[in-house]
Amino acid sequence: MLKMTHLSKAFRTEVVETYALRDFSIHVREGEFVAVTGPSGSGKTTFLNIAGLLETPTGGTYELDGQDVGALGDDARSHIRNQKIGFIFQAFNLIPDLNIYDNVDVPLRYRKMSSAERKKRITEALERVGLSARMRHYPAELSGGQQQRVAIARALAGSPKLLLADEPTGNLDTQMARAVMQLLEEIHRDGATIVMVTHDPELAARAQRNVHVIDGQVVDLGEDPKLHMNVSRISA
Amino acid sequence: MDFMPIIAALKRQKTAAALIAIEIALCCAIICNALFLIIHRLERSSIPSGVPENELVRIQTTSVAEDPDVDARARAALQSLREIPGVQGATLINQVPFGRSSWNSGLRLKPEDKNTIVNATIYYGDAAMLSTLGAKLIAGRWFEESEFGDFATLLGAPDGEQPKIVIITRQLGQKLFGNENPLGREFAFGDVPVRVIGVLDHLVRPSIFDDATADCSLVFPVRMGAGYGAQYVLRTRPQDRDAVIAAAKKKLAEAMPNRIVLDTKGFDELRDENFKQDRVMAGLLIAVVVSLLVVTALGIVGLASFWVQRRRRQIGIRRALGATRGQILRYFQTENFLIVTVGIAVGMAAAFGISGWLMHHYELPRLPLYYLPVGAVALWLLGQIAVLAPALRAASVPPATATRPV
Amino acid sequence: MFRYYAWLAGRSLRKNPALTALMVIAIGLGIGASITTLTVLRVLSGDPIPQKSAVLFHPQIDPADLDDWHEGEEPPDLIGYVDGMNLLKAGKADRQVLLTGGNAVIQPEGSSLDPFRTEARFTTADFFPMFDVPMLYGRGWTAEDDERRARVAVITRSLNDKLYGGANSVGRTLRIRGNDFQIVGVVDHWRPTPHFYDLVTGNYAEVEDVFVPLDVGLDLKLGRNGTMNCWGNGGGADPEHSPDCVYMQLWVELGTPEKRAAYMTFLNNYVNEQRALGRFPRPNSVKLRSVMEWLDYQKVVPSDVRLQVWLALGFLVVCLVNTVGLMLAKFLRRSGEVAVRRAIGASRREVFAQFLVEAGAVGVAGAVLGLLLALLGLWAVRQQPGDYASLAHIDLPMLLATLALALLASLISGLLPAWRACQVAPALQLKSD
Repeated sequence: MLKMTHLSKAFRTEVVETYALRDFSIHVREGEFVAVTGPSGSGKTTFLNIAGLLETPTGGTYELDGQDVGALGDDARSHIRNQKIGFIFQAFNLIPDLNIYDNVDVPLRYRKMSSAERKKRITEALERVGLSARMRHYPAELSGGQQQRVAIARALAGSPKLLLADEPTGNLDTQMARAVMQLLEEIHRDGATIVMVTHDPELAARAQRNVHVIDGQVVDLGEDPKLHMNVSRISA
Repeated sequence: MDFMPIIAALKRQKTAAALIAIEIALCCAIICNALFLIIHRLERSSIPSGVPENELVRIQTTSVAEDPDVDARARAALQSLREIPGVQGATLINQVPFGRSSWNSGLRLKPEDKNTIVNATIYYGDAAMLSTLGAKLIAGRWFEESEFGDFATLLGAPDGEQPKIVIITRQLGQKLFGNENPLGREFAFGDVPVRVIGVLDHLVRPSIFDDATADCSLVFPVRMGAGYGAQYVLRTRPQDRDAVIAAAKKKLAEAMPNRIVLDTKGFDELRDENFKQDRVMAGLLIAVVVSLLVVTALGIVGLASFWVQRRRRQIGIRRALGATRGQILRYFQTENFLIVTVGIAVGMAAAFGISGWLMHHYELPRLPLYYLPVGAVALWLLGQIAVLAPALRAASVPPATATRPV
Repeated sequence: MFRYYAWLAGRSLRKNPALTALMVIAIGLGIGASITTLTVLRVLSGDPIPQKSAVLFHPQIDPADLDDWHEGEEPPDLIGYVDGMNLLKAGKADRQVLLTGGNAVIQPEGSSLDPFRTEARFTTADFFPMFDVPMLYGRGWTAEDDERRARVAVITRSLNDKLYGGANSVGRTLRIRGNDFQIVGVVDHWRPTPHFYDLVTGNYAEVEDVFVPLDVGLDLKLGRNGTMNCWGNGGGADPEHSPDCVYMQLWVELGTPEKRAAYMTFLNNYVNEQRALGRFPRPNSVKLRSVMEWLDYQKVVPSDVRLQVWLALGFLVVCLVNTVGLMLAKFLRRSGEVAVRRAIGASRREVFAQFLVEAGAVGVAGAVLGLLLALLGLWAVRQQPGDYASLAHIDLPMLLATLALALLASLISGLLPAWRACQVAPALQLKSD
């Protein structure tokens, strides 16, 4: 599904060149639920930005769904984001001026779907996250957990092949975080590929596979939860 | 206050700062020139006429049928007008100040000269003209009774019979003789040399086609008849005007059955009509200047509010780090001052450019330099007033903003 | 997608009503002022006789003495009686007409109306066919009428309404300053703008109420209206017939460029002949301008009107710069929204389109306001003095131009902000500084 090979990302200023990612390789198969962990500044966010086609890598190759997406132009990348990727943000990033229904509608609009189709998908997605009763509410009228569920509904409405989550529970209290996590697990069971960046070991433990990033390089911990626990203890 | 951090911050929002500066520059350029035009127009429309306009009324008549005795009747009518109660003087002249219709001639110093020195307007007046019009004689004398001729006999008469003496305005004297005393000097009217026997302070032209010669008039001792556009002028107190006009109409109808009164107007009304276009233009320019200032001020309010909102967190952090409200306020005020200053600097150059263009196309004088600082101060004030509300809002951002997410 | 953008724009504009109002008012004011002044300029610089303006010419020759002469001097705008009549009678053009302004004191017969003075035109027979004058009743007079100095008159529809209640007055007698004239024709609505055939009586004057044959008007001394320039002894006792005074307009119709060239030759020959007879001491200075060339040369459009147009356009630019600033602020305030939309898959073009639609909506509102202000402005112009004020009306092309100008203006002012907005990088986090 997602395959990065010898990927690098350099940030250049006038004085220095620093690498956020260096010789970064990772392979996420279809249907996997991968947690990406790592200390602050390790390159997690850069990885996610590149995975989500928000940034372009400096070197190496990136294949998404069998397609080399490293050299695509801005429009093509927008198109892929819209068609294949769903985003869940730490800060929810709902558009405050739009109500819940219209927020979920945003990605569908850029797909130029018929209004009947959009309506069906929005209703389904909101039902799935249990917020169909709040369709006409505005983001500011919802709790953090509810807002994140709306964000998830927005990501789901487009039935993306790949769901990218950036600290999805980072702004939530424990109880709400648990509910959101449950929702993600359900979505995974239904067949979605999920890549989640988190610094929370407990959350990471619930994923199928853990990837640890240190200094822009991957330490793939595979599917062995024990090993994972050890490493996370070391890094903590 | 230290400018450097403000300038550094401005560099990060070049576009918005540049837009305000451009707006100020355009405003400055337009307003400086518009103010100049306004004052030019108002000055023009308040040009001195040399006569008490609110005391003077002109009456125009025209004939409905041939009448061989019309000139005699006209003079009899003039006499009867003088008898109307409230009339302080009455005269019959060929044209009146601001009356539009005018008689003009190019003047030369000697009949054999090839080139005209100045174009002047020609008043033909009777003995009562000076006292009726109330023009001020500043040198020499008025004509004596024996010196007046009749227009009907002078028309087409040989040069030898044309008037040889003339009274001119001070401005015409300057145009003809420079700073020398014009009294007793001669110049050529057509092919006839005429001698200046008196100088009037002012007597404005009926129609001003060149501001520089608006007061270039001369008076010949010629009694008008009824025809050739001759007009009655009555002098009366403003409060008696309406009654005098009504009485005069009746007298004229009695005295001259073959003539009708075309119109009766106060000289003040004639001036108003004459300069209405200028006053309208001045009013229009004032409206544009005011609109420009309002639009620009609101634009500054809008953009400054945006900046304040965008930098709320930054302001909160500064406040948390110990900046006083006054310091925050002054930060935004100084920022506005810097932007407006750049705008003014560019605007002044543009103002001068526009002025040059106006000079070329509209024969206007060069924009006086003192308009520039006046315009600059006005725009600085405008900027400070406009930025005050957003700056106060910035100053009231609580320091706790720093610790809360936006 | 357009409907979605329009819907988003509507929400966004309603969310900040003060800011929206400020932008709309700024554009509206700028557009209103520009359209008002441009409409006036358009009316005043129009072609008064479009179907014939290219074949009507105004000959100028210079019969003055050598006083005040300088190299390259333009010949006088006007022509005198002697030269005018000579050229008229030579008949070298397809048509030719000689004319001057005058007055007519009319004594209505058997009516309750008092005698009144109105403007008259003393002219010759070709006036009516040459200038395509529309006739309501009857027709103009003939060259023969001119020749025998017939006391005939053509009046305008408005005078006909005033004197005869609109009835066909052809054949009736009109009493002008004690002289009886027979009415031969009534002119229908006609107002060439500018008043090209005689600018002396006002660049935008209305058509005179009464037309009488030139010689009749002069002989009866009905009263001239206009400028007279004399040289030498000033024309003596009868300046109207003096060769040393100019006060009339001569117009000729020349159907082809060849005829125009031939007429130029004819004018030069005429001047040479006259010089041989002792007149025309100045070097040949002959001009033959077409209607539009003549209007241009005479600078008929008031300089104030041009100045007003520049002023209004300057004002519009300030308003637009102002709107650019406000839109930029407004759009950049929403960079968070843009980042999310971009992350979700909106392309740059889509974001650009969304914001341009919002700018366009401001433009449409500004256009409507601008149009209302322009109508108000033109109404105000019509209340002003000056013979052209009453002409200030908006027409369909100007109406469409207003809408186009406003939309264009707001789209231009939306370009930079929308472009800046679509440059916001897609991001996972809302960043704020």
